[in-house]
Amino acid sequence: MNIPLNIDWQQILLHVFNFAILTGGLYFILYSPIKKFIDKRDAYYRNMDSEANEKLASARAQEEQARGCLEGIDQQLKETRMKAEAELSEYTARQMQEAKAKADRIIEEARKSAEEEKRAILASADKEILSMTKEATEKIIHSSTDEAYRKFLEIAERDVQNGK
Amino acid sequence: MSKKRKIISLAVWLSVVLLALVGVIMTNGSEKTESIREIMRDAVLHDRNKISLFGYMEVNPALISAFTVTGILLAAALLIRLFVIPKFKYVPGKFQLLLEQLVGFFDGLGRSNSPHRNCFLNVYIFGAGVYIFFGTLFELFGIQAVTTHGISIALPAPLSDINAAIALGCLSYLVIMSGGIVSNGIKGIGKTLKDFSLPISMSFRLFGALLSGLLVTELVYYYSGLSFVLPVVVAVLFTLLHALIQTYVLTMLTSLFYGEVSEVHKGEKKAKANSAIKGEH
Repeated sequence: MNIPLNIDWQQILLHVFNFAILTGGLYFILYSPIKKFIDKRDAYYRNMDSEANEKLASARAQEEQARGCLEGIDQQLKETRMKAEAELSEYTARQMQEAKAKADRIIEEARKSAEEEKRAILASADKEILSMTKEATEKIIHSSTDEAYRKFLEIAERDVQNGK
Repeated sequence: MSKKRKIISLAVWLSVVLLALVGVIMTNGSEKTESIREIMRDAVLHDRNKISLFGYMEVNPALISAFTVTGILLAAALLIRLFVIPKFKYVPGKFQLLLEQLVGFFDGLGRSNSPHRNCFLNVYIFGAGVYIFFGTLFELFGIQAVTTHGISIALPAPLSDINAAIALGCLSYLVIMSGGIVSNGIKGIGKTLKDFSLPISMSFRLFGALLSGLLVTELVYYYSGLSFVLPVVVAVLFTLLHALIQTYVLTMLTSLFYGEVSEVHKGEKKAKANSAIKGEH
């Protein structure tokens, strides 16, 4: 059969044979090893990625746990602080009360002492006034006697002089 | 570089170019064994220049090119397998990156166009892509072979032979059909046969693209006057670009059609399941 364009079935099959050898050879020698290497590298990086993700998840869980612990500690600290503040205020109030009582006592004592002192001063002043009065009275009395006597003497002298 | 040395270098370069030109013109007087018409006709029909295949049969030069390309590629692959791949690192070097890109490109093409079934497809388009690309670049080297008539010819690109283009086109079609059969059974064959023009279009697209490059190259090289500067443009346009474009086109079309025929339609399955349920009731 005369096929146009000089098409030759035998040569077509020879080309197919040649191409089949080439494709098979390239697959086994080149494509497959390179593909395997690419897949291996992909698996390696995927594995690395999943490990990193696992580590990240673990780190996040730890962070969450630590945050929980911190919150617990914060709460504990808050409670302790509140307790301490309450104790402090109670202590302060007690101290204040004690101080006030002490101050009252001191004031009372001082007042008493002042009163006693006042009383003593007043007593001593009375005594002094009394003695001064006595002295003054005595002085007054003495001065009036002397005057009367002097006057009597003058009158007597005058009478004497007048010849009476 | 000093000015004097520059002038000397320029003079040497110009004299070499002129000597080559004179040589070309002087040797152009020799009688050509074939006319341009015969060369063009032979490039299309391959009816004149045949090469003996180990003395067993006479074949087109493109078949020898195909065997040579296969031999070179397999030898290169073997060397890479023995000396490069064992030294692969997780952080790749330049050559490793190139190889990984080569495999990754066809792998990605198969995966994106046929996401449900692509193992065999990826291997096929890798082989086809490498074959088309390096096979097309092969004609740039101008490796000589002697025909049965004793004429020395430069080996063409394998796919510039219509037999090679038909082989690859039909093989691609069969691969597409195999995907349809594996995924959808008899329906897969029907789906593939629906695109019955595919093997012809694939074959002749490859053949036409590669042949046009070959014809223009033959034309340019036939006349010595066209053998300066122009071959650089021609080589780039008709060889490098064809190599890239045809590799991409065939592998992309194959994976696209493969993905289409090997897709299992959920709607059909659901309809079947519904009809089965209704039948039970």
